[in-house]
Amino acid sequence: MSGRECDDALTKLYQYMDRELDGSNLELIRTHLEDCSGCLRSFDFEYRLKIVVRERLSEEVPPEFIERLRDALARESSAPL
Amino acid sequence: MADQADFERDALQYAKQLYSAAMRMTRNPADAEDLVQETFLKAYRAYNTFEEGTNLKAWLYRILTNTYINKYRKESRRPSEVDLGTVEDFYLYRRVGSEESAEVARTTEDRVLDGLVESDIKKAVEDLPENFRLPVLLADLEGFSYKEIAEILDIPIGTVMSRLHRGRKAMQKSLWEFAVDRGLVPEGAERP
Repeated sequence: MSGRECDDALTKLYQYMDRELDGSNLELIRTHLEDCSGCLRSFDFEYRLKIVVRERLSEEVPPEFIERLRDALARESSAPL
Repeated sequence: MADQADFERDALQYAKQLYSAAMRMTRNPADAEDLVQETFLKAYRAYNTFEEGTNLKAWLYRILTNTYINKYRKESRRPSEVDLGTVEDFYLYRRVGSEESAEVARTTEDRVLDGLVESDIKKAVEDLPENFRLPVLLADLEGFSYKEIAEILDIPIGTVMSRLHRGRKAMQKSLWEFAVDRGLVPEGAERP
């Protein structure tokens, strides 16, 4: 991670990771990551971290959660307006 | 215009996902379930204003976050800013390297990513100030685009990006502390 090209790439790395780049910006960072193993490694780490975060944040719903939700909606729809 | 009779069929598929987000917002199962129920009841009542063919998932999250902000934020006053003066970019990555070799660095990276348990990640997110927590949840848990997050939270895209960036940095700082506590990183692992 050094040099101006790296600095440019790194400012856009999160946008790349979040699939927010297109056109020449996308092309630029892809080319840079192909050429620069240092930036590729940092990208790889950030990307793996993002996946780990997503996987470990999800939550099991309590038993009969959906049933209770359906009941609440049924009560609402049968209530007089 | 959407038909209220179709609401269950269309919307219920998102209930479990909304619950995960609600858990990270309210931090406890009872409040999370209440929050999701309230969100669905509000959405049901307003379903005839939902424009069919537009983004139903984002619409539900907008109701969820607004309900959360109005109902729960008042109860737990937390600092809305966090001091990130000394937190640099790639905070965690920079600290899990090795001076020995790329091989050793890779091993440390793997150990940290494998070794941070669910409760660490959840705590790191829950400890974020609200302003940062919601964009991080919407991007990293739900995979919404910046534009969708901007619409859900009713803030400009530039603000989404800066809050997401700062939120992730703050999260990495906590994760680093957990990694150290769990002995996942050797002494002096800092990247040269």
